[in-house]
Formats: sequence, structure tokens, C-alpha cells
Amino acid sequence: MLANTIVYGFVNSVILMLVALGFNLTFGISGVANFAYGALYILGALLCWIFFNSLGLPYLIAVILAVALTAVAGALMYQFILLRIRGMALSEVIATFGIGLAILELLKYLGFIGFEYSLPVFIDESIEFGQVIIDLQRIFIVIIGVAMAGFLWIFTHHSRTGLRFRGIAQDERTALSLGINSDRVAMLSVAFGAAYAAVAAIVILPLGTINVEQGYSVLINALAVCIVGGLGSTGGVVLASFLIGYGQTFTVTYLESHWVMLVPLIAILVILVIKPSGLFGVQKELEERI
Amino acid sequence: MKQRFFLLSAVFVVAFALLIAGPVAYAAEPIVIGVPTSLGFLEGKESHKAVQLAVSEINARGGVMVGGGKRPFKVVAADLRDAAAGVPVPEALLGLEKLILEQKPTAILVGPFRSEALLAGMDIFAKYKMPMLGTVAMSPATEAKIKKDPEKYKYVFRVSLNVIYWVKLLAGTNATLKQEFGFDKVYIMNQDVAWARGTAAGMEKKVYPGLKMEVVGHDQFPTGFSDFSSTLMKAKSKGAGVLFTCFDMPESGVLVKQWKSLRVPGLIAGFISPMAGEAAWATFDGKIGGLMNAIFELGNIPSQKYAPARNFYNKYKNTYGKGIQSGHGPAPSYESVYILKEAIERAGSLDPDAIVAEIEKTDRKGVMGRIRFDEGHQVVYGTDPAETAVGAFFQWTDDGKRKIVYPKSLAEGEIVLPSWVKKR
Repeated sequence: MLANTIVYGFVNSVILMLVALGFNLTFGISGVANFAYGALYILGALLCWIFFNSLGLPYLIAVILAVALTAVAGALMYQFILLRIRGMALSEVIATFGIGLAILELLKYLGFIGFEYSLPVFIDESIEFGQVIIDLQRIFIVIIGVAMAGFLWIFTHHSRTGLRFRGIAQDERTALSLGINSDRVAMLSVAFGAAYAAVAAIVILPLGTINVEQGYSVLINALAVCIVGGLGSTGGVVLASFLIGYGQTFTVTYLESHWVMLVPLIAILVILVIKPSGLFGVQKELEERI
Repeated sequence: MKQRFFLLSAVFVVAFALLIAGPVAYAAEPIVIGVPTSLGFLEGKESHKAVQLAVSEINARGGVMVGGGKRPFKVVAADLRDAAAGVPVPEALLGLEKLILEQKPTAILVGPFRSEALLAGMDIFAKYKMPMLGTVAMSPATEAKIKKDPEKYKYVFRVSLNVIYWVKLLAGTNATLKQEFGFDKVYIMNQDVAWARGTAAGMEKKVYPGLKMEVVGHDQFPTGFSDFSSTLMKAKSKGAGVLFTCFDMPESGVLVKQWKSLRVPGLIAGFISPMAGEAAWATFDGKIGGLMNAIFELGNIPSQKYAPARNFYNKYKNTYGKGIQSGHGPAPSYESVYILKEAIERAGSLDPDAIVAEIEKTDRKGVMGRIRFDEGHQVVYGTDPAETAVGAFFQWTDDGKRKIVYPKSLAEGEIVLPSWVKKR
């Protein structure tokens, strides 16, 4: 039982991390808390479904197109709406939340209701090691999750655009003075975040089916991980994912399953009391600066 | 001058177009049926479609005979969103009251999705004297309220299964599993919503002790949870022969996939909403053979042994291009239109009290079986469609068919255990 809990806890933690990375990236670079993130997650999955099932495209092409289109959706959202309210945090939250609601309700209006929308698994097999049996799709999710986190690190440390991202995140005014266009970088970060959401959806949702209502729960999970880890900190997101993921898995195994949703909420409460900026947060509260 | 001419012309063209494409004109004033429910959820969406199917059939034959002439039905739907996470009941009830006040329906069909909303909405139906034939929410607390104050709450009826009949269906199926395969240990898994909690509690406290089946574990999952591995491992380690499930959330499809991959040697027998419809076979890549799933009302699944259910199912499939995917709601929703029609015709008027009095007298052969109401305004369910309405259990075969296995009056074959599940 313990071995199973540890293995599945690891997988669930990576799933949380994969879900939260895009949200954290967007906030860390542009300062935008993208409350349409859950909607973009579902949009990415359904676009992939449409390209693969309705249009009959090869799956890899469908994935690439879905990720690209979701990124474009994120960029358009920033360019036409968020740019005008940039810096007004509450307005950004309201606007992105409204956009997210609109996307999800539009998808329902277009008829994406029911359980028939699913994406194919990578390999439909299970492997057994010791007393633990795990399906290969979950192992695939772990590989992709680690790869995405690694890619993000490499991108932000060794690519021109990534260094611009970090420049804006560290000090926007100085970055501006060096000729970095902060609005363009912010738009790119929202687009990247949306692309990450789509990748996460395409990799995770083959475990079950695609349902529009999942857009709301994904946003809550991403928010919880980012708040606990520290908005803007990738290391914090990774650590928080494992804390919450293992917390939830151990709760189901050794306590009561219906308390599982309390785990991220309690984690948020505890971190807000002890260290409001999060475990590795870069947005310092006044009390922490003194 | 030229600009003004063009502007005026444009105005005339638009006005003319609007006059031509005006609202559909009925020869006689239509009888409005309100369908307020969670239209964004499968059961609500398909129930609405079933109502529309029945209405189109009735209207094609001229409509409802009342007041010396035939009048067509007209369906007006409203999305209450009461099944969506985070939507408070008062907000859903605002939508209900808005529909009643603006559209002035003669009756409400389908009704609120969640029992919490229906129970709170009963006062609205009483206030506006609005007959309501519910087909989704299942709490028997509505019947208790009706029996306690029949004059006030007489307008509320339920055509679908309630939790009590649902538990009886489950009890009968579990008794069969124990008798045929010797399963005497059960692990209960349910979603943390009212109907599933009530069902699981009823099974744990009343049914399984009565069947002398030991409940070796009971886990409840919040809506949205998607990893059932820990619970399945617990069920495996405790030797559960039956995994009793109660879910309507989309993530519950993961449960079946994990059941198979973990080779848990217990038979899933309960209700997992994504597994109910014929499309589930393709959705889950044909990996659900062996699963037993409930259908709350006959008609939502076709039956080789009961023609009205088969005919309704095929009509629905031919009209909408695909079979019913939900296990709960569409068949009683279709039936409720005919119940209302016949009640109006017997009453000879649209007076709500007269309609209610006639609905109470309903006794018809419907798609779910024989339709009669008890004193709590609940349709009576049993195991023989000649006598009562019926729910059923089916099993997915390894070649993608849904084979009804319970009750015996409708069984199309025997229950077959998956290869990794052994008789005890």
C-alpha cells in the first residue's frame, strides 16, 4: 500500500505541476493572474479532439495545431483586452475570469456536453514493478512534466526570448530602458502559458474524458499550487506540487477521501499565515521585507 | 441626399425582413411547457431533447385536445446551472421563477437537476400553482414534504426513479451477485453529492447488512477528483468482490481504467455516468468489457423484451443521430409529456388543480413500463414492466454490447465475470 501511495503520489504531484506551470509562467513574467487558464486548458484539449476526430488529421499534427491555436488565443486575449488594463490587477482578474467563463460556456453552447470526448492514450498498457501496477500513460505524463519543467528552465536561461522574460520579471523599467518591449514580452508569456495549458490537457486528459466543467477545477488547482509555491517561482511551483500532491494521496489512502479537497485549501491558509509570498515567492510582502 | 436615401432604404429592408421572419405563428395558441434544468449537463440536455421529441410527435398529430379544439405544445427551456460547481441554490431558483413569470408555462417538466434545488423550489411551484413533473432530481424528501402538506405541495410529481427505488434496484442486483458468485465483501465508492451520499448510506446501513455482505471500506470523492488508485488498492487488499460505485462526474471514467490496469479482483457494479451510453465503448477504446452499470429508467437503454422502450430509444436515435448517452432522465422526460397531455385532455382545461387531479389518476403503458403515481406523487418502480416502471442493470460485453442482466423479466443473458475476477 505504501509503495503504491508513493508512486501514485509522485504521479499526481507531477500532474499538479504540469497544470500549474503555465499559470505560474504567465504571472511571473507579465504579472497577469490568468483566470482564463482553466478555459484555455479545456480549449486546447477540445481543439486537439476536433482536429483528430472531426477533421481526421494525424494525431501529432492535431496536437501541434491545438497547442499553437491555444497559444494564439492567449496572445489575442492579451493584445485586445489585457493590454488595455495592464497593471490594474483587479481588472485583469475580472477580465480573465470573464473570458474564461465565456470560453467554457461557448464550448457548451457548441454542444461539447457529455462523455464522448476523449483523447487517445500514448500507449494503452500497464507495467508492474514490485506490488505496484501503473499504466504507461501516467509514466508518459511524468516524462512530459519533467521535460516541460526542464524546457522552461533552459528556455528562460539560454534563449534570447527567455532572457527577456526574466529581464521583465526582475525589473520591468530597467528592461524597458534596455530596449525590451514589455508589452510584447507580456503577450508572449500569456501565449506561452496558454500553450503550456494545452500541452498539460493533451497529456493528462487521456486518463479520462474531456469535460467543460473541468476547466473550473483546473484553475483552482493551479491557483493553489502557485499560491503555496510562490507566484512567479518555478521552483516554488515544483515544491508546492509535491507537497499538495503527496498530501492529497496520503489523505485518500490513510485518512478519508472526502477531505482530499481540503488539502490545497489548508495549504493556502497555512502559507498565507506563515509566509504570504509563498515558499519561494518573489513578490515580497511588507512584513517580509522588514 | 443620396446618403439619406440609402439609409432609409436600409431601414425599410430590415423592417420588411423582420416582418417576414417573425416568430413562428401557431394556428392555435400553444400550451407552453417549461423545461428549467441544467442544460449544460448530459442528463439535462438529453432530457430536454426527449421532451422536444415527444412534443414534435404530439404536435404532428394536431396537438392536445382542450377547450373544444387542438392546441400545440411549445417548449421553453431555461438553463438553471444548478448542477454546476459553485452555483448557489438561490441563484438557480431565480432562474426558475424568471421562467415561470416571463413564459407563463402551463407545466414544468424535467425540473431542477440537484435535489437541493428541487426541494427548495417546491415552494415556488406551490406559490404559482405550477404542476411539475420532475425527471432528474431523486431525493425522496420531496415525497415526505408532499405527504406532510399535500394541499400545498400537490403540484410536484416525480416520473423518474427516486433514491428508494434506486436502492431497491441495487439491492436486487447485489443479491443476485452474492447468490451467483458468492461475493460477500463490498467496497463502496461514491461521489460527494447528495444523491450519491444518500444512496451509499442506504446501501451501507440497510441493504448490505440485510444481504449479509460485509462493507470492507467506504470512500467518498469530491466532484472533480481523478485518481482512484489508493481506494482501488485498498479494495484489492481487503478482498472486496463487489466494488459499488455511485458517480455522475466525468472524471469517474478514470476509475474504470484504473480498475482494469490494477486488475482489482472485484466486479464494478453501480452507476458510473460516463459508462452508461452506447458511445462509451468507443470513448474508452473498448476497454470497459465486464463493467456492470445501472440504467435508472428503462427506455434510456433499448430492451429486446419490452417493445415501447426499444421503440422510444430507436426514435430518439433516428431523430438526433445518436443513441441516449445518459442513464437517467430522457425516458421519464419523454413519458412526462404524454402524462401531461393525457391529464390535460381528461381535465378538459388548463386549470392547474384540475391537471394535478388528473395526473394523480395516471395509469398508462409507457416506455419505462406501467406508469402510476403513489400518494407521494412518485411513479412506482419494480421489476416487471407489465406492473410498474422499471430500472435495469446491464453489463458491457467484450464485443461492445450492452446486455441487460437484471431484472430477470428483462434479462438478455447471464452476468459474466472479467477474467481477473473469480467466483468466491
